[in-house]
Amino acid sequence: MKAEHINPFLVAMISVFDTMLGCKLTRGNPYLKNAVQPEHEISGVIGLSGKAKGVVVLSLCREAALSATEAMLGERPTELSAEVSDAIGELTNIVAGNAKAKLEYLNLSVSLPTVVVGKWHTIEFPKSVVPICIPFDCVWGAVAMMVGLVEQASPAEISQATGLVLQPTPAPRG
Amino acid sequence: MKVLVADDSGTMRKIILRNLQALGVTCVTEAADGAEAVAMFKPGEFQLVLTDWNMPNKSGPDVVREIRAQDPGVPIVMVTTEAEKSRVLQAIQAGVSDYLIKPFTSETLRQKLEKLCGAVMHA
Repeated sequence: MKAEHINPFLVAMISVFDTMLGCKLTRGNPYLKNAVQPEHEISGVIGLSGKAKGVVVLSLCREAALSATEAMLGERPTELSAEVSDAIGELTNIVAGNAKAKLEYLNLSVSLPTVVVGKWHTIEFPKSVVPICIPFDCVWGAVAMMVGLVEQASPAEISQATGLVLQPTPAPRG
Repeated sequence: MKVLVADDSGTMRKIILRNLQALGVTCVTEAADGAEAVAMFKPGEFQLVLTDWNMPNKSGPDVVREIRAQDPGVPIVMVTTEAEKSRVLQAIQAGVSDYLIKPFTSETLRQKLEKLCGAVMHA
């Protein structure tokens, strides 16, 4: 995981929370996340593919998730409902989308967001990826972002490095 | 003025709806994915289409192409997180009238709508 990959996510997170939710985030110290357990009770998850592959996770404590949803919808939900999941999924989508625009050379595509709710839930990152976790604090409580992204060599780059000519796998007959 | 809003996120549809209502637009039809948007669209019925890019069943550019084939004149705005130049170009080639990157402010949406359908909004 390169610093040049994590910085766009960091900037997007702070910017989206500020402009969309009116919430100022204070960043903590990033650390490598070996365990796949997110920090908090609800997590928005988006897969990234292209010249790099990986996963971005936005994890929020209950109070932050409820308050973020209230800021987006104008009404405060009372529990971690389907409405909150949808709001956190969209928030994750916007953060990931804004970040990938700064990584245009990787030609990234994002998956549709999925949201996991519940204490001690786990999220699998690709085996080759060690995610970085960036904790944040705000008036609503704790929020964290985990990003695991690894560049993939294209067939042309593999050919150039190895001298091998890669052929597409023939389609099965019949 | 009648507007078709296509986004798979109910949250984003509500945000757009709230912004449209603040601009005096109250007649809004919501589609929860791309295929639904194309099925709901009838030429001449809508004065504006707002569509997301990444949706299940049919992507935003496909929605734009199919609606544009039915109604060459209707203003279509892509409302999306896809901010790369290559994506904007792809949307223009599909036939969008304008492009709005999420998150957007009420003022930015108002300016786009004024530009595209000011005369209809104030009629």
